[in-house]
Amino acid sequence: MPIKSYLAHPHQGKKQELVHELSSISSCEVIPAENNDLVIVVTETNNNTEDDILKEKIEAIESLKLLAMVSGFDTPKSN
Amino acid sequence: MKRIGIISLFLILFLAFVAVWNISYREGQEEAYIPIENENPMPIIPSEIGVFERSKFALDYVNMPVDENHQRTLETFYNNRAFHGAPPSIPHPVASERGMGENICLKCHQNGGFVDKFNAYAPVTPHPEMVNCRQCHVAQVTESLFEETNFHKIKAPEVGVNNALDGSPPVIPHQIQMHENCLACHAGPAAPKEIRVTHPERVNCRQCHVPNNKETRDIGEFKRISNYDE
Amino acid sequence: MYTSLTNRREFIKKMAVMSAMTAAATMFPGILFAEEQERNLPENANLDWKKAPCRFCGVGCGVLIGIDNGKAVAVKGDPKSPVNKGLCCVKGYHSVISIYGKDRLTKPLIKKNGKYVETSMKEALDLIASKMKETISNHGKDAVSIYGSGQWTIPDGYVASKLFKGCIGTNNVEANARLCMASAVTGFMTSFGIDEPMGCYDDIDHADVFVLWGNNMAEMHPVLFSRLLDQRLKRGVKIIDFATRTTRTSMAADRSIIFQPQTDLAVANAICYEIINNGWVNKSFVEKHCNFKKGLTNMGYGLEDHYSFDDKPEGITFEAFKTFLQDYTPEKVAKISGVSAKDIKYMASYYGDPNKKVMSLWCMGMNQHTRGTWINNLVYNIHLLTGKISEPGNSPFSLTGQPSACGTVREVGTLTHKLPHGVVTNKEHREFAAKIWDVPAENIPAKPSYHTVEMFRALDRGDIKFMWIQVTNPMVTMPKLKRYRDACEKEGRFIVVSDIYPTPTTDIADVILPSAMWIEREGMYGNSERRTQYFEKMIEPSGEAMSDTWQIVEVAKRLGYEKQFYYNEDTHIEEIYNEYRRHHEGNKHAMAPLEVLKAEPGAQWPYVNGKSTKWRFNADYDPACSNGEQFHFYGNPDGKAIIWQRPYEPAPEIPDDDYPFWLCTGRVVEHWHTGSMTRRIPVLHKAMPHAYVELNPEQAKEMQIQTGDRIKLTTRRGEIILPASVNERGVPERNQVFVPFFDENMLINDVTLDAFCPISKQPDYKKCAVKVEKV
Repeated sequence: MPIKSYLAHPHQGKKQELVHELSSISSCEVIPAENNDLVIVVTETNNNTEDDILKEKIEAIESLKLLAMVSGFDTPKSN
Repeated sequence: MKRIGIISLFLILFLAFVAVWNISYREGQEEAYIPIENENPMPIIPSEIGVFERSKFALDYVNMPVDENHQRTLETFYNNRAFHGAPPSIPHPVASERGMGENICLKCHQNGGFVDKFNAYAPVTPHPEMVNCRQCHVAQVTESLFEETNFHKIKAPEVGVNNALDGSPPVIPHQIQMHENCLACHAGPAAPKEIRVTHPERVNCRQCHVPNNKETRDIGEFKRISNYDE
Repeated sequence: MYTSLTNRREFIKKMAVMSAMTAAATMFPGILFAEEQERNLPENANLDWKKAPCRFCGVGCGVLIGIDNGKAVAVKGDPKSPVNKGLCCVKGYHSVISIYGKDRLTKPLIKKNGKYVETSMKEALDLIASKMKETISNHGKDAVSIYGSGQWTIPDGYVASKLFKGCIGTNNVEANARLCMASAVTGFMTSFGIDEPMGCYDDIDHADVFVLWGNNMAEMHPVLFSRLLDQRLKRGVKIIDFATRTTRTSMAADRSIIFQPQTDLAVANAICYEIINNGWVNKSFVEKHCNFKKGLTNMGYGLEDHYSFDDKPEGITFEAFKTFLQDYTPEKVAKISGVSAKDIKYMASYYGDPNKKVMSLWCMGMNQHTRGTWINNLVYNIHLLTGKISEPGNSPFSLTGQPSACGTVREVGTLTHKLPHGVVTNKEHREFAAKIWDVPAENIPAKPSYHTVEMFRALDRGDIKFMWIQVTNPMVTMPKLKRYRDACEKEGRFIVVSDIYPTPTTDIADVILPSAMWIEREGMYGNSERRTQYFEKMIEPSGEAMSDTWQIVEVAKRLGYEKQFYYNEDTHIEEIYNEYRRHHEGNKHAMAPLEVLKAEPGAQWPYVNGKSTKWRFNADYDPACSNGEQFHFYGNPDGKAIIWQRPYEPAPEIPDDDYPFWLCTGRVVEHWHTGSMTRRIPVLHKAMPHAYVELNPEQAKEMQIQTGDRIKLTTRRGEIILPASVNERGVPERNQVFVPFFDENMLINDVTLDAFCPISKQPDYKKCAVKVEKV
């Protein structure tokens, strides 16, 4: 059950788009900064494969300039 | 010819002087307008000020032998405060009633060290830049009370119960406002023995230890914004 | 420790968010995540933190109060508050402990045959109402009075004024702010025609030089003083302590200048002389924005009953003002003031330097002064002559000592001559207030009745028979106290006291009502910089304690004023505040809506177009300026400020052969006012358990006095014995002694003098003659 948090930097002026795109992905939690072009993304997936797919999906978003992982946790299977 | 040159040189200098003087005079006449900054609410993310404040001593702390005969305990640490997070009172006689921090208190409390007179190590202040020490810290000159109180002293955080998982780094179980500088209390010979950090050399404390207390109001469980059902 | 897996996942997720936010904050300092940061991390929830203004002084620090299971258990500074930016003083940090003293009053008490008997709130309120009715019908409406305080919340003072002035029809409404702020008010009114400072605390961040006029800020306004010290660290500002005694403030200041009591009047004039003599006058400012006036002199000191004084202002020319100042050359003034001509010139040079922004700060030293209005005027003169006013950093700033001295007493107007908007002597103002209060305009008498000292004298004489005292402790604070204590105990007087603890004032009460304190109820305070702050009810009141507002509302209903006191118990604070705001409509004084106060750490009036006004009278910041110029002093009809010709006059009682010392009284950092709250905080009591008398160390040695020796102080009013303090907290000059007034077991006010400023009627607690003996 990997849980990861990232800092996502949007392209110039594309923050809203990025927030919108990210929010539409169901396993993403999005926290946009109020006064900077920066978005915190927290992902929660069921296994590593899903996590890899999700990451690719995020990285494919056009308004995203840079994605930097901050922390990652993995907990044993649950639910 | 030479004379004309000199005259014109002085003329140019004079004109330049007039011009410069004019500009500076006009600037002096302008009203100094200081724009009002919007009253942005200050961030409630606990401040980062002072996190690395004492990190230059980190390696000294590692090499420092533990003086077991003069250790403070967490209990005495908490007993000196009206509630955990309150400014501690001064448990010893003070050198001057009128002195300001830089001359009096900070002599010992800026960097600590063993004080023969009190047979103890001086605790290090996490905020040496605030010099009106006795604005918040007062001595205790009597044991008696004016009237008894029913004030409920809440339980202070304990040691060893703050990790989410076995072996994971404990969270910070207390307020850090005014004491953002971790090493001031968690390292060195005056640190209470229970909370003395085993690895002071890893100075970026908050890389692994995060604050864990609510600052304003309870909002209940963490809820995801998006959901599979939608 | 067991944690379920889902909890653990939540926990980890929070950790993930937190570490991302921490990382973001290192990359972009000051980054904001509105929702998230407020939410923070509720796991292992410990305390609920709720915002309030501090209960104690007039600085008005924002505090966050930690609530645990319905109890207030912790305090920290509110980092969002622009006043204190997260820092408090020792009183603020421990303030919540003062709610929980073991001897808290929890039930109403009625005195029967010399003993206090517990009763119900209903019975006590019935008794008060019937006693008021009886007094009014037997002795007239001017035989009842209310004496409140700068610790009244805005709604407390508002309903008191509405009941007494509007409904009953007597101007017998006074407040203890008369003893601490009145000279500041009359200073503003005479110089600018409108009350309260033009500047704000932000001036501290812009000024280059700070002159403290008789103000021991390090102990009395420590949070603001720390802002000064912070600016010195960052910008190298200069702090000048101009005082009669050496204190912590003097030690911290860049320059400590000591003057002889009362001679601040002469020194201020000498500074004006220097400014004019050196050509430092801002001519265009003075021509456009100032008038010169003089008033009556040799006014007396109000020592006799029925004393009254009306100033007769008269316009003068700049030349006449200049001639007047010839008597105040630095050399001449040096002789009477003990301040060297060099030091006077030094201070004048900062005020005169056009490249230095100067902030003057003062509090009781200038206000508790038999010429308090004059010395306030004189400091404004300095700022007006140099045009250093109403601009960021250029600011004469009058500090206050009570949390709502400004908000309630000055803005609501709980003084005998005041109305929420304007004064009782003005017909239009009376009609305006009467309309909002829903009473006939004739109800409000056109003549002010008694100011505080005269009100207690009237009680002594028997002109007043009934007095209701709320949130204050006059039996510790009145000057020449013994006369007024005896007055209260006289036959035929009925005294009601609303308080939270037994005090010397409840000791003389016929009925004691237990009050809900601070965060046990809802309310607002207004601080020194025109900032109004709201606090919600956070905990339940102790026992049957009731808010002062609701006590008055209940009595008003019993007196038959249900129509005017229509408020609903659940929403009355909001209803009262909204009604009160109507008095202040308009650009000059509009108050912020309640929603704004609830959401923000206070708002500064005039609150216009959704914005606080930081600097008044300056067209760049103040929307009420309308004359098309940079500055507009719209408080006066012609839009100009007044520079007053005010001479030096000596104090009423000067040390002589029989009483060779000056006696000065004041406060200490640990205790607030009469200590009825702070002495019940163990940390503070243990730090400062009792009063003392401070002596000059050299002189103490000559008199063979050491710290702790018993010293008898004798004045023409009486005597008192106190322990000596030599070379401790403060060092007085030779032939001067200082005593803090917080200690109800050593009542220094038994021996002080009840002389007051004839214009403001504020007593002078800082100067009288005393004999000092070792016993």
